[in-house]
Amino acid sequence: MGTVLEVKELSKKYPKKDNFAVDKISFSVEEGEIFALIGPNGAGKTTTIRMISTLIQATEGDALVAGHSIIKEPDKVRENITYLPDEAGAYKTMTGIKYLEFMAGLFAKDSETLDKYVERGKAICGLGDRLNEKIGGYSRGMIRKLLLARAVMTEPKLAIMDEATSGLDVINALEIRKMIKTLAKERNMSFLLSSHNMLEIEYVSDRVGIITGGKLMVVGKIDELKECYQAANLEEVFERVVKDNEVR
Amino acid sequence: MKFGNLLKKELRELINAQAIFSMLFTMVLLILMGQIMGHAMEEGFDTSTITLCNQDNSEFTAELLKKLDDSEGTDINYVELQSDDYAAEMERLGLKSLVIIPQGYGESIIEKHEPASVKFVSVFQNGGIASSIGTISASDVIGQIENFCTNEVLLKNYGLSDEEIELVRTPMQTVEYTVNNGKTVVYSAAALGSVTMMQSMIAPIAIFFLLLMASQMIMTAISTEKIDKTLETLLSAPVSRMSVLGAKMLAAVITALLSALSMIIGFVFYMQGMTGSAMQEMASSAAPQTNILGSDAALQVGNLGNAMSELGLALSPMEYVLFALQLFFTVAIGLAISLILGAMATDTKSVQTLVTPLMIAVMIPFFITMFTDVNSMSAGFKLIAYAIPFTHTYTALTNLMNGDMLIYWIGLAYQVVFFAVCMFLAVRMFTTDKLFTVSFSAGGKKAGKKKSQTEDAQ
Repeated sequence: MGTVLEVKELSKKYPKKDNFAVDKISFSVEEGEIFALIGPNGAGKTTTIRMISTLIQATEGDALVAGHSIIKEPDKVRENITYLPDEAGAYKTMTGIKYLEFMAGLFAKDSETLDKYVERGKAICGLGDRLNEKIGGYSRGMIRKLLLARAVMTEPKLAIMDEATSGLDVINALEIRKMIKTLAKERNMSFLLSSHNMLEIEYVSDRVGIITGGKLMVVGKIDELKECYQAANLEEVFERVVKDNEVR
Repeated sequence: MKFGNLLKKELRELINAQAIFSMLFTMVLLILMGQIMGHAMEEGFDTSTITLCNQDNSEFTAELLKKLDDSEGTDINYVELQSDDYAAEMERLGLKSLVIIPQGYGESIIEKHEPASVKFVSVFQNGGIASSIGTISASDVIGQIENFCTNEVLLKNYGLSDEEIELVRTPMQTVEYTVNNGKTVVYSAAALGSVTMMQSMIAPIAIFFLLLMASQMIMTAISTEKIDKTLETLLSAPVSRMSVLGAKMLAAVITALLSALSMIIGFVFYMQGMTGSAMQEMASSAAPQTNILGSDAALQVGNLGNAMSELGLALSPMEYVLFALQLFFTVAIGLAISLILGAMATDTKSVQTLVTPLMIAVMIPFFITMFTDVNSMSAGFKLIAYAIPFTHTYTALTNLMNGDMLIYWIGLAYQVVFFAVCMFLAVRMFTTDKLFTVSFSAGGKKAGKKKSQTEDAQ
């Protein structure tokens, strides 16, 4: 298994702010692995994800996606990733199918590949005939399914998802979690997730990184972390790590 | 392929049903306004029928009415009044104006040698241009009655011949010359002024609405992309930011061009409607000189259209292109500013707040040009007015008509530079973190707090 993402002492400091929003964090994600970043509000999860997605520039450090630097080769990085922001929407005036075609068109190099992506997207989202309707008439759950399908239809090396199942009901959320696991296992896709939902993370992730105050406090497999912190579940691990950091 | 895909998406977003409706609406509205104004004035100038009530049975009045009946271009419709309640009588007879020759009119002039009254009753109109024209035409009939009385009294009392009476009545003729753009024509400046005023007052209104529509359209489109986070999705896809920005700007430019084109087409039809036969009649009535006594170096143009063309007051095809050019840059500047402001918005409320300063910048030259000539303002105010890039387009028509080409070209150059600066700022915003870190939320101090919280959460 090769390394898909290698984050090396990545830092971000916003102008007119005293502290680093992200302070020298390092971790890696292997091929076919599901890695989750968890942390309290304002911990630096979204900033980290945005830097890796090449949306904002890192102040210090670097990250390599499929061997390409986010600083030096952002275009190459974007060819290997997809990003699903938290509470993201889609173009309301487009139909679901047009949206998939538009997004597939940004990744595909030829029409054959484009058709393949769209067909895969149609199958994954499971919206059927409703794909021919305008997105403006979709429910929140339908939009999220469409966006998830968009994020995985191109089978990127690394799919970055911020709160992947937000807005979905229990059944739909469960479907998505299963889908992520299947894609990682069968298609060897890697996932970088960010979530507040500890149950979801515990169910879906191979490894987690707990981030607080811009610093990555621990990284490891969930079972190892539970053992290390003598916790019954990931929620307890998270609580202890955060509290330890506050004491310091 | 990717750029084409992006451009197609942007065009679909911008040129939606609402935008197409707005473009068509502007064009059709202008065409209709031209037609309606022309038609209204034609109706106002329809002097073929004058309604008159004769209550006097003297020979003098009978002869007066015979003369009026015989005069060319005037048909008299005689009515009888049942009471002195003019409001009720006008309503009963369905009249807009009425001339009443009261009983004893002839006796007063011929036997008593005293001035007599002729009554003129008119229903108050809504103050439109056509209504005032109707009043002018009825007044002409009263003028004819006055002339007849003068002639009859003078003839009877002093034994003058028709030629002598004519000489006493009009001992001189006024020949009006109008100078503009280095050329002179024999035509009334007041008449030409009234026509150009009506032509030019519609342009600022159309520019104002065009800017308003285009700016709000792109600002809403950009802010919605940011608020819905579709922008993040788009910018994390394998396309360069310059492609995304380029597609957005090109789509905006195409939209601006289509908007400008729809407005120009409407405006051309509006001008044609205004300078039609009705306008010609109005100008002729305001410039009643008919017998030109020698023309010197001035051109005897004959009609309004020729006079306007000769003086450069009618736009040539090239001048329409130049006007369209400034219109295009005005809309492009509005779009570029909207693009930057839209990218700063964090919610729909902040979009409305952000659009306000832009709208004020659009409104200031609109009101200035509605009430005064920018070029005649003091140097300080002129500088302030022209510092607003939109002002140059508001004054473009006047400058082109007056041949003030230096002001036009300086204005155009200023607009190009202003547009370049706006584009530079837009590029800066799209290629740096500013797109995601600079934000504006409506609500003063709370906004600042909200912004900090947003950054912290990241």
